[in-house]
Order: sequence, then structure tokens, then C-alpha cells
Amino acid sequence: MSSSTNWSKGRILLLIGRLALAAIFLAAAYGKLSPLTAKQWTLSSLKVTPASLELSMMFFAMQLSSYQMLPAWAVSPIAHSLPWVELSLGILLLTGLGLRYLGIIATLLLALFWAVIIRSYALHLGINCGCFGPNEKLTGWRVLEDGGFFALGLAVTIGAFFYHRRHRVDASAFAQTEVSSS
Amino acid sequence: MNSRRLLPILAGVALVAGALSIQPLRASQEHGTPDPAELEAEKSLGNPSAPIKLIVYDDYECPACGNFYEQTLRPMMDTYVAEGKVYLVHRDFPLLGHKYSRQAARWVNAAARIGKFEAVERALFDNQMAWSEYGSENPQGIMKPFVQSALTPVEFRRVERLMQGCESNDHTELKGCAVDAEIQRDMASGELLPITQTPTFIISYKGKAYPPESGGVAWPLLKQFFDQLLSQK
Repeated sequence: MSSSTNWSKGRILLLIGRLALAAIFLAAAYGKLSPLTAKQWTLSSLKVTPASLELSMMFFAMQLSSYQMLPAWAVSPIAHSLPWVELSLGILLLTGLGLRYLGIIATLLLALFWAVIIRSYALHLGINCGCFGPNEKLTGWRVLEDGGFFALGLAVTIGAFFYHRRHRVDASAFAQTEVSSS
Repeated sequence: MNSRRLLPILAGVALVAGALSIQPLRASQEHGTPDPAELEAEKSLGNPSAPIKLIVYDDYECPACGNFYEQTLRPMMDTYVAEGKVYLVHRDFPLLGHKYSRQAARWVNAAARIGKFEAVERALFDNQMAWSEYGSENPQGIMKPFVQSALTPVEFRRVERLMQGCESNDHTELKGCAVDAEIQRDMASGELLPITQTPTFIISYKGKAYPPESGGVAWPLLKQFFDQLLSQK
């Protein structure tokens, strides 16, 4: 198989990985920001109002508090900012701009989430995850899933760096060919 | 025998027989199956028409439930429940992993039948470390003295009568235990949700139920959530 075929396959895989990563962050933001009373993943649940947003973020604050990791003063500010960070990351990942840097941020965030989930699972805290919305049990499956998300983030970041470098090498080789031929 | 002597004897016998017959009657009233709604009210605190209803599934032996009770529910009872903003409903969900949790639930349910739910619940949670298997003081499941300390002697005797056939750490429903049916009913409602851990609580506001949440939450955060609900039109 030629190296150009490998390269295009790799680029397609990177695109799929990036879109999957974007979907994860968008779903996580949606789960935290969508109205609490509405059924999730329906059109009616998209009717977000300032009051419903505030209520959803406060509910998320209660979920964060149940992890028993953060000081009381930090819970509410984090609960009010994390869903927006996830939403922004999801949108930026969709655009594909600055993928290397976004990949690093996303991977660090996913590593942090995974560590928190592992700790809570190991301590048998018996809490809800709060990862993609309310009433989500923190099970062994969730631990594996979060590990998978972290691996995906890492793969996308490595891929982004690899293809950026490869692109630079190819571009400089092309420029050198152009210079020598002229 | 002289009829003058016979009459007081007969009257005495009649009096003793009458007194003896009253005792089992009272006992059977307490041992009977009360209305489930009435029983739920016995295990609830506050005004039933309060805008917010908080249903808590608890296990008396679970340390997280103890913390949740002391750190969150107690300040809430003193303020939002007392002010008529929150109606607090307790439901039993004794987990199999906790050796004495079912027994504790039996004592509390027996106390609830005589209207002493709050006092006995408080006594058991306040002294959780003294009777639970996680405590270091007296971890043998001996909770009776704590129940007794929360009641008057007369009340305690009534609770003890209700506990006849119930004094066991067994997690299965006991045939001779009148209060076990109430615990089973609470557990059945929890299993429908489904609940797998305690404490789990459900908040409803003006009849709209929010998703169940598990684990402890600090009172200031829960209060903020309630205030946000109460500010809604």
C-alpha cells in the first residue's frame, strides 16, 4: 500500500475521531444544560430558557457536590462554567481549527474526568455520574467508557500533531522542488 | 356461698376480664394494617401542601445517609420544612450490605405508628456510630437503648409491643412482624425508580418531579436549588 493511501486513510480516521470527540463534548454540554423536567434527547428538551438553564446548572452543582472532592465555594462556579467549556470545545472541534491545541485541552479534561470517575467508583460513593445529564449511575461500564473517551482524545491529539508535522514536511519538500525547478 | 360475698367476687372477676380484653384490642389496633397514605404521613415532616416535596430513600446504617441527615436534612427541617416551603417524605431502603439497617428501619416504622417517627429517626442517626457495624463504640446492632432514650416509658412500651416478632437482623420480610409490610412497600416503590444506592432523593415542585439524585449534597447547594424553584412563577 502506498504512503499516500495510508496518509489519506489516516486523515479520514482523524476526521472521524475529531467529530466523535466533538459529539462527546456536545452531548455532555447538552445533558447538563437541557431542561430538567423535559425528557432528554427530544425536540421539546431544546426549549431552553434562562430559568431552566439556571436550574439545570444548579442541579449539576448538586451532582458535583456529591463527588466530595471540591471545596464548597468552588462547586457552584465550576458547575456554572464546565457545561459552557464543553459546549465551546465541542463546537471548536467541529470546525477543526487549532486541532493540536484543542486536542491537548480535550485530552487533559478527559483525563481529569476519568481520574475523578475512577476515584469515586473505587470509593463506592454510590453517586450519579452527572456526565451526560441527571440520573446516570456511576458504574464500572462508565469507568470503561470514560477510559475510552480519554484514549480517543489522546489518539486525536497525537494524530493532529503527526499530520501537522507531515504536512509541514511535505510543504517544505514541495517548496524546495519548486525552487530547484525554477 | 353467701350471695353477699359472691357479688364482689363476680364484680372483681368481671373487671379483670374487662381490663384484659382491652389490652389485646389496643394491641390489635396498632398491629392492624393502617392506610398506606396515613403511614406515609407518619413518616413525613412539614406541610403536605408545601410547594416543594422531597422524598428521601434512606438506610439508617449507611454512613452517607447519616451525613446527609445531619448536614443537610437537619438544617432543612429547622428552616424550610418548619416554614412550610418543603414537605419531607422519608422512605426506607435498607441495603442488604448493611447488617442492621433493616432492624433499624423496623424500630423507626414502629415508632412512626405511634407518631414518634421524627424523634426515633433522630436518635438512630445521631447515634449511628454507636450501634452500626461501622462504629467503634458498640458495634453490635444494639439500637434499643437509643430508641428508648427518644421516647417516654409509655411510648416505648407501645413501640415494643409493635416490635413483637420484629427483633431480628434478617433482611427478609418476617411473617410475624407487622411493620415489615411498610418497609417492603417503600422498597418496592424505590425499586421501580430504580434505586440502587442510598441516600437517593427526588425533588418535586408543584407536582413536577425532577430526576432522582444520589449521594450527599450540601445544604447550601440544595437551598439554592430550592430558592430557584420557589422563584419560578
